[in-house]
Amino acid sequence: MAKYVIKRLILAFVTTFIILSISYVLCKLLPFDRPIGGDQQQIAYFDKQYSLGYVARFEVERDDYGPLLYKSPLERGRRNYYYQVPVLKQYTSWLKNICTKWDWGYSKSFQPNVSASVIIMSRVGYSIKLNFFSAILSVPLGILLGIWAALKKNTMTDHTISTLVMVFISVPNFVLISFMLRIFAYRLNWLPSTWPTDTASAGTKVLGYIIPVFCLSVGSICSYCRYVRAELCEILESDFLLLARTKGLTRKQAIVRHALKNAMVPIFPWILGEIIGLLSGSMILESLYGIPGIGKLFITVLNYKDFDILFVDMAILTTISTVSGVVLDLSYGFIDPRIRMGAKK
Amino acid sequence: MDELNNKIEFKSDDFVLVQQGTRITDKKLDTKPTTFAKDAFKRFCKNKSSVAGAIIIGVIMLLTFLVPWLSTANITKVSAGEAFLAPKLFEAGTGFWDGTRKKTRVIYDTENEVPALSDKYTKATIKNSLVKLKIDEEPTLVDVMNPYGHGGYVMFATDVYAPDSVLLASQPVVIDRSGNYRLKVEFGNDEGILESQLGEYSVVLFDQEGNKLYYIRNFSRDYSDLDVNLSNILDRAGVDSVNARICFELKGSENSLQYILVKSVEVSADEGVKNSEILGEISFNDANAMVGVSDNKSNSYWICSGRKGVHACEVYYCDYVIDTYMLVYGNADLVTYSATELNDWISKGWCSYDYKVGPESFVRLTDDCPIDEVDSQVVMKVTKKLSSISGRGWNYRKYGYNKMPRFLLGTTASGHDLFKKAFAGLRTSTILGIFAASICFSFGLVWGSISGYFGGTVDIAMERFCEILSGVPSLVVFTLAILHFGNTFGVFLMVICLTGWMGTAHRTRVQFYRFKGREYILASRTLGSSDMRLIFKHILPNSMGTIITGAVLMIPSTVFTEASLAYLNLGLQGKESFGVLMSSHQQYLPLYPNLVVFPAVIIALIEISFNLFGNGLRDAFNPSLKGSE
Repeated sequence: MAKYVIKRLILAFVTTFIILSISYVLCKLLPFDRPIGGDQQQIAYFDKQYSLGYVARFEVERDDYGPLLYKSPLERGRRNYYYQVPVLKQYTSWLKNICTKWDWGYSKSFQPNVSASVIIMSRVGYSIKLNFFSAILSVPLGILLGIWAALKKNTMTDHTISTLVMVFISVPNFVLISFMLRIFAYRLNWLPSTWPTDTASAGTKVLGYIIPVFCLSVGSICSYCRYVRAELCEILESDFLLLARTKGLTRKQAIVRHALKNAMVPIFPWILGEIIGLLSGSMILESLYGIPGIGKLFITVLNYKDFDILFVDMAILTTISTVSGVVLDLSYGFIDPRIRMGAKK
Repeated sequence: MDELNNKIEFKSDDFVLVQQGTRITDKKLDTKPTTFAKDAFKRFCKNKSSVAGAIIIGVIMLLTFLVPWLSTANITKVSAGEAFLAPKLFEAGTGFWDGTRKKTRVIYDTENEVPALSDKYTKATIKNSLVKLKIDEEPTLVDVMNPYGHGGYVMFATDVYAPDSVLLASQPVVIDRSGNYRLKVEFGNDEGILESQLGEYSVVLFDQEGNKLYYIRNFSRDYSDLDVNLSNILDRAGVDSVNARICFELKGSENSLQYILVKSVEVSADEGVKNSEILGEISFNDANAMVGVSDNKSNSYWICSGRKGVHACEVYYCDYVIDTYMLVYGNADLVTYSATELNDWISKGWCSYDYKVGPESFVRLTDDCPIDEVDSQVVMKVTKKLSSISGRGWNYRKYGYNKMPRFLLGTTASGHDLFKKAFAGLRTSTILGIFAASICFSFGLVWGSISGYFGGTVDIAMERFCEILSGVPSLVVFTLAILHFGNTFGVFLMVICLTGWMGTAHRTRVQFYRFKGREYILASRTLGSSDMRLIFKHILPNSMGTIITGAVLMIPSTVFTEASLAYLNLGLQGKESFGVLMSSHQQYLPLYPNLVVFPAVIIALIEISFNLFGNGLRDAFNPSLKGSE
């Protein structure tokens, strides 16, 4: 088991590393946009890049180098010429910077000369908070609805729940939030139509969570419900449950002690993986509701063409998705003794 | 018990051999033979919701390909005048889907008796287009100048927190003893203003050099009405005639802004005095007009060194329902058109007109001509050229229609038909989806078959490749590809296929693993079947259902992906795009919800019905359910 865990972790690390490397190189291959701001900011930015090894600096003009990025103004008869370093060299510097200094680069135009980690850290809180609330809401609700539908299989209740689940799972997130905004924010005026600012009153802040948390959890609630229902229905028809009934347990006892416990075995790891996956947030939701999380950051820096920050945001997405995959895989083995992960025949 | 005793007896004569003498051969089956497809179709039809889904998909697909083709509406040229028309299915006035728009709390223009709308429309047009109008019975008092407001007080205030006095002075006016000049001023006291802020003021006459001539009311907080005879004052001062300014002087305070409220000023004199005109200009009884409206002269007849505002002016609000089509295309009473517009019509052969003859010479030649008759014309005095004409007619002709148009879902910000625009965008998405699905299907099928059929090292290598490729979040792939290669149709197709085939490949591989160990395969193999035959004759037909279902479901997922990318500002450019349409309309949600709601309903319908359809298809194609009821 331990061997398998280590193997799986190393594999995940290697996958992430490869993906990040490719993404980094591809990001760096994009056309270079000069940072915004006056000469002072430009010089500050390029000197920083030079010290990190992403840009070459010379005091004379060079023909034998890559494209000229910036020419500083003449100062005391001297000026600096900044050239682009070959992408693979930038890549090695980048690896070195991350390993030695945990330095993920600097913003160019979005918030000039602010480090990527500062920008990300100031935003990640909103996304995590939102997803935390959404998980708190969706896990119990989804499981309960699923259990309810399974126990009342092929009745009106089951059909209603299943239909609703089908409808809500099909409706895209941006459609849902549009309708929510239209009805509850603009028509009825009950809820704020955008994310309340940090200075808003506590009441408004709480109300501000309702639409995004609802929109974020609806999808999860539906998929939990659907999965739990399918899983539980299968178990309710299995032989061991019949045995449980024949040995004298009531239906309630049989369901609570045997069916539910066994149904949770595949469901729990899956939910765990889902929750971790949720951390990457919903970009469309965040941007439509104006939530300053990392999802909205992605769109903002894309508009600013601030590719260093964009890359870091993508790196987070990639890492989260790989981690959630690993957690899902491993937790199966931990929870269900029948599954021996990585076992040979 | 009788029956038991009554034994039934059979003799050998009672029996006849049925087939005696006949030759027994193989007989054709009486039941009709069924194929896999027929059987699947039969089972699909049993699932009512899937059939409903299929019908909805059919209708939407039909519309997707027919509407952009058949509709003549223009969706490329911007026509700002036609922007934001309401959806119209029924005639106006039916109250539902009738091209009207309801607005509440709109300022009412009491002079023209219409709601105050944009200057684009003439008052007559607005009046014609109103379906319902409800004016507030009580006016609302507002503290800002409003072009449609009435009355109120001039709120004369100090500029800053300072002890200096400020002046509100009239233009100089000649006052003499004989004219019986009177000054009447109405003040307001505390309506809506803090009492402590009502300041100490004086009413004073200044001469033109700025010397104080006479205090009519010395500094006080007396806000009672003032009525004095200025001529008598001159009498008392012993002056014959004076050119004086009537001034309000307000004392400042360091603690708060100071105000006085002046409701009206009336300067009058006997009939026949020569400056009666200017007296009328100085007088005012409508504070709102005095402060705000520029063509009202009394504004420029009062000079102010402090701040001048309006307090408690009356504004009427109204709720109305307006027919947006009448507003834009409607019968416009006397609309003025410039000579350039007229010349344009003449050059297009729509009408003929000779301005030297006058309005009678107007002849309408075709139905395209926006006006039916010319009422009057304006000719420039100097150049003797036509500057404009006024005419009556239907505005829709101006936009190139022969009759009142009707837009089922309304129009967009650029004046395009949303119905056509949405389906044109959907067509792009659907074609993209069909292409992507077929490419992914073909490639994924081959990949999955090889990986699944041969297994072993080949399988492991191919699986690892897929694992790494699918480890990259699709958003990252999309973003990088679009940033590098641009957001064109081809790039979208490429990127969707880049990761999309893995779904089909995975499904195919699983199916192959499932079937390749079955007995019938073994039997076929022992009879000497080649790999080719085993794959194409035995395994693929059995696994086709699941694989096809997956491929079909790629179409809605492509529509969804395209729309999502548009919300991330990575939308498809250069072609009509459903996603770009939706995301660009998001900003109009508060004002023109139809622009968001209709496309949203369409995409939701597509996703829901494809889901239903897919479920039915999966069950129908599932060979393990074959023959089961």
